Amino acid sequence: MASGGFRLRFGENHSVIEDRNETESPSRRTTRIRSKPKKYGDFLDNSPVKRRNYKDMSSSEEDSEINDEAALPKPTALFTEDDVEGQDMFKFKSRHTKQDLQNKVKTAIYSPKPVDSPMKTPKKLQSLIKVSQETPKQVKEIMRKRICNEVDSDSADSDFSGSSSDFIPEGSDHDETDSSSAEAVSSSEEEVEQPKKVVGKAVKGRDNKAKVKDAEYYVTPDNYFIMHSSKKIATSDHTLARLKNLNIDENNVDDIQISAEHKEIIKDLNHSYTQLFNKWLYVLSENFNIILYGVGSKRSVLQHFQKQKLKDFPCIVVNGFFPSLTIKSILETIVIDLLENTNVPSNVGDVVNLIDTQLKENGVNLFLIIHNIDGTMLRNAKAQSILASISQIRNVHTIATIDHINAPLLWDHTKLSKFKFTWWDVTTFVPYSEETSYENSLMSHRSGALQLSSLKSVYQSLTTNAKGIFKIIIEYQLENQKQNYQGLPFKDLYSKCREQFLVSSDLALRAQLTEFLDHKLVKMKRTYDGSENLVIPIDITLLQQFLDQQTS
Amino acid sequence: MESTVSVSKGVFLFPNGYKKGKSNKKKNNQVLFEKIFRNELWYDTYKQNWYYIENELQELHHKTHSVLLNDIVNYIKNHGISESSTLEGIIPSATLLTGVNQPDHVSQFTSLIDLIRNEVTPHVALVNSQDAPSVKHLVENAVWQLIHGDQVMDYDDDEGVITQTKKLRKSQCTMKALRNWYNTKCMSSPRKKKSQQTRRTLVIIIPDFESFNCNVLQDFVMIVSSYVSTMPIVFVFGVATSVSALHKSFPYHVSSKLLIKVFHSHASPIYMNQVLEDIFLTHTSPFHLSGKAFELLTDVFLFYDFSVTGLIQSIKYCMMEHYYGDNTKSLCCDRDKLEDVIMQLTAEDLESIRQLMSFRPFLEKQDCKTTISLFNDDDFFKEALYKEMNRLHDYLYSFYMCLRLLCVFVKDLPKNMLGKSVREIYTKCASENVTGTSAFKDCLQLLKFQSQVKLVESIKSALKIVNTYLQNASPVKPLRSTSSKNNLKNITLSDDLGENFVKSLRVHLLTFLRQIEHANTETTVTMCAVSDTENADENFSGNRYKLKEKLLKATRLDRVQSEFEMVRSRFVSYLEEMFSKGLQPMQGQPFHELLAFSDVASVRKNIVGAPRAAVHTALSNPVQYLQCSCCQLPSTDSVIDTLPDVCLAYKLHRECGKHINLYDWLQAFAAVLRPDDDDEQRHNDPTIQLRFTRAVAELQFLGFIKSSKRKTDHVMRLTW
Repeated sequence: MASGGFRLRFGENHSVIEDRNETESPSRRTTRIRSKPKKYGDFLDNSPVKRRNYKDMSSSEEDSEINDEAALPKPTALFTEDDVEGQDMFKFKSRHTKQDLQNKVKTAIYSPKPVDSPMKTPKKLQSLIKVSQETPKQVKEIMRKRICNEVDSDSADSDFSGSSSDFIPEGSDHDETDSSSAEAVSSSEEEVEQPKKVVGKAVKGRDNKAKVKDAEYYVTPDNYFIMHSSKKIATSDHTLARLKNLNIDENNVDDIQISAEHKEIIKDLNHSYTQLFNKWLYVLSENFNIILYGVGSKRSVLQHFQKQKLKDFPCIVVNGFFPSLTIKSILETIVIDLLENTNVPSNVGDVVNLIDTQLKENGVNLFLIIHNIDGTMLRNAKAQSILASISQIRNVHTIATIDHINAPLLWDHTKLSKFKFTWWDVTTFVPYSEETSYENSLMSHRSGALQLSSLKSVYQSLTTNAKGIFKIIIEYQLENQKQNYQGLPFKDLYSKCREQFLVSSDLALRAQLTEFLDHKLVKMKRTYDGSENLVIPIDITLLQQFLDQQTS
Repeated sequence: MESTVSVSKGVFLFPNGYKKGKSNKKKNNQVLFEKIFRNELWYDTYKQNWYYIENELQELHHKTHSVLLNDIVNYIKNHGISESSTLEGIIPSATLLTGVNQPDHVSQFTSLIDLIRNEVTPHVALVNSQDAPSVKHLVENAVWQLIHGDQVMDYDDDEGVITQTKKLRKSQCTMKALRNWYNTKCMSSPRKKKSQQTRRTLVIIIPDFESFNCNVLQDFVMIVSSYVSTMPIVFVFGVATSVSALHKSFPYHVSSKLLIKVFHSHASPIYMNQVLEDIFLTHTSPFHLSGKAFELLTDVFLFYDFSVTGLIQSIKYCMMEHYYGDNTKSLCCDRDKLEDVIMQLTAEDLESIRQLMSFRPFLEKQDCKTTISLFNDDDFFKEALYKEMNRLHDYLYSFYMCLRLLCVFVKDLPKNMLGKSVREIYTKCASENVTGTSAFKDCLQLLKFQSQVKLVESIKSALKIVNTYLQNASPVKPLRSTSSKNNLKNITLSDDLGENFVKSLRVHLLTFLRQIEHANTETTVTMCAVSDTENADENFSGNRYKLKEKLLKATRLDRVQSEFEMVRSRFVSYLEEMFSKGLQPMQGQPFHELLAFSDVASVRKNIVGAPRAAVHTALSNPVQYLQCSCCQLPSTDSVIDTLPDVCLAYKLHRECGKHINLYDWLQAFAAVLRPDDDDEQRHNDPTIQLRFTRAVAELQFLGFIKSSKRKTDHVMRLTW
């Protein structure tokens, strides 16, 4: 039911499709089959939400469809005007080109303040564009040709050519043969010019443009697969290595990112949820369970709830986002820690029965607070069905939160009916500091802060001689940056170390090296000629940073 | 309270004073929970009404399932004893086709078990698929339940502890143990008076056949079949889809061991209609749903879960919402209690009743003096309220009856313009004045063409309904004598409804029935007859033109209506008049808010959550939640630098394709925030990077992106 909010939208669209098929007379259909790739725009116009807006225009069409609608009843009360349209969330966005991002940025920068002279495009924007065009042109050309050929041989349908450029990165300097992609470029050029005119109009113009673009974007099955079969990722080749200071110290908690006004508002917003507490208790007491959703960490809200209302009841707090959480540990906490049994029965049904009877015997209401019931370790059918069976018990009251956009897919029909959730929109905009603290974030992982700090700590525990040896290896590696770096040959290292009086014998050096090998600071590679080469398996930029830090 | 943050633990216990030994807490059990709401008028009323509805539901449940369950029980009775000896190794098995609304099945099977326990045998085992991942578990569970089944029934929970000691351990439960137990208990039991009593059947119920592992079930069937000669075992399979599921998952050598008999259970929409019509769409229901709310709930049923249990839960939720925190809602109770409740209302409550939207039109009808006293004199207002509430109940009484009458007349009409079932018609009648709609007029038009037989039939069934309603009618209490003291007579009440209305209706229907039955259908077309004979010879000429002429002439002739036709049109116009009186929409009634729940919007959010939509709105248009002055966006697509970081990153990421270059993304992010810096400065700004890192991490947490190994420093978009 949960996912219903959007799932059914699709269902509805399907029924619309059926509708259409029915309205088409059989004689027409035969001719129509040829031109099958149906426009996505058609679906758009026919989906009920849109249709509502167009009612006046297409009243004649409406009449013809009345019969079909009677035959296929549609939900009337489920969707209202103020719903978020499914298209906003789920439609295939029109093709994404690299310019999209830049255009967006441009409009964002320009729209607040009108720019006087059209010639004065700020430098950094130009550089942005320049930079993005660095994808090797030949590769694009080859890809483009190959796909165009494929498409042409596939069918003579002109629809395809329009969308074939979809996944092809287009640079504006690329000479355009395809008419439709030329159109796209011109449109993007237009967009560049537009903001220079009037502020309000510029924004509006962009908006319209987007609409037009969407309407001409067709999704056909073939197209979809062609789009995804291409191995080449059509983005620029930049890496984060271009940034100067990569090592972000994530630990220094900062509030700079939220403006004062927002801070105040967010505080109020969160405070407003405390008014729901009594109602939640009421709902829980009537044997419904509660699920909270919405952007922002909902931990503090739940903590307040626990503090204010659940002081006298046994509570179990589960951090679903905890990376090594097991369903067993949850059961153990209930059965062993709370109910003071000696062991947990192996069978799920038995556990549930045990909890049920013991809670009833003692006349206790247990509150189960699950932060992120959609956490990584709970994302499996077994864990969810156990949680569902526990939540079903009369004396257990579950309050859970979800954050992942696909979380409702966790529950089927049966589980949902066991959970008996009531849904509450608790959007807090509080940063997910605890929740994301466990996962190694994409950026910090890439930026290697972790690697760097571990490197540092190992390095600090080394003897001065060993430090010297390691430095030699680093320096050599930095001096010999090339595509396939083979590593520092062992005997070269030995001679270098001897020069600096770091080791006196071959064996001593090997003993030092084992330390590095054990910590995986250094890898030993054997070459074809039998010599051993030493490589540090760490990014060069990181090494440079490390070295800079050590010398400074 | 950061006690719930740890790097080594994910589960935290707060016993909050709970100790296992302290059983004296028992008395606090529910009281603790309810102490916030206890003594509240609305809460008591809610509780009472919900208990009432729950009981009604239970009764209905028994009534609807009793036929089917009795069939199954009879089957078990017959097969358990007699045929096991004749057919070697073949297990009689009842297959119950339950339908896909699995959440409802639980109650069905529990009542089946109860029935079997009462009538056939105490030895029943019900094994769910989740309790039986392997044959071992399945056998253990089944055997344990079979052996201890009678104890569960004989001793109640209190004595369960004592019997626990002699119970077998789960691991000892094998088929062999079962046979030994069966032999000692049933065969060699000292009082072997009747074989009927001692040789009891063992019933094993598999409620969710499809979710079992095929191999487990196959093995289980084979094992049981080798024991069936010594013990009478009967299977009951609950199959959600169709019988073919049974044949698909069992190969021949297994299915040949089963003697399958199929039983069909009700389709859930039928059951739903029954529940709604018998319990909620009656004047006896203490709580009523407005048309819109009702529509929402049936939509959820028809388009989402198909589960009657779910529907009932949603109605319960609506009811909770209706009563929550509002003492005036305690008026939404039994008619007999109205007087007491009104007496208990405080001045504040009365004031909030005066604030109701439907009070205003009511006021406008009254004269000046009564209006003033309605506002100033609480006692007078109470009197008026009591009278109005009674009238409202009368209205509901006749409304629901008219609804059923309309259903009787309309359901067989072609095209089903108003719908076939009572609930469909209810949604139409409750939300608008149905007699004004074109669909209603068309229906009446069609009624004017109905045959005599059909019409008589409909009127007869309509009369049946009217009669049952007259029997159930609660006697209207005469108004208290005090009312005459006040000038309450001044309050103009709209035309009388309720029992009198129904009585007069009955009289009318009876007379119409008599008239229609005896009416002559022959049209007296003497004129035509004459002309017919004249033209008789011309007919033979076969001239098509002539025929056409003749037909045209016939249409121009004044058709004299037959007696039946005249009565019929009178009847139809009577129906129109009657329905327009009885089927006024609920919104028009004063104080209807007290009885009917109509706050659909708030309930819809809680029943049908829309987590994805909420995330989308929060990220693309945070103003909706924040209400701040800085983030007003001209359109949901646009971007400004004051947006929260997550929103900004989200919007930028929507402009990218399937793969996103982190560096480019970061640059775009920085460009929006610091439009005046150049590249060099941006590269050096750690705060921007930090903010971006945070935002990216949160988007990853929300499931919009994930890391990608295909290219360095790229992430994958997980949405379109």
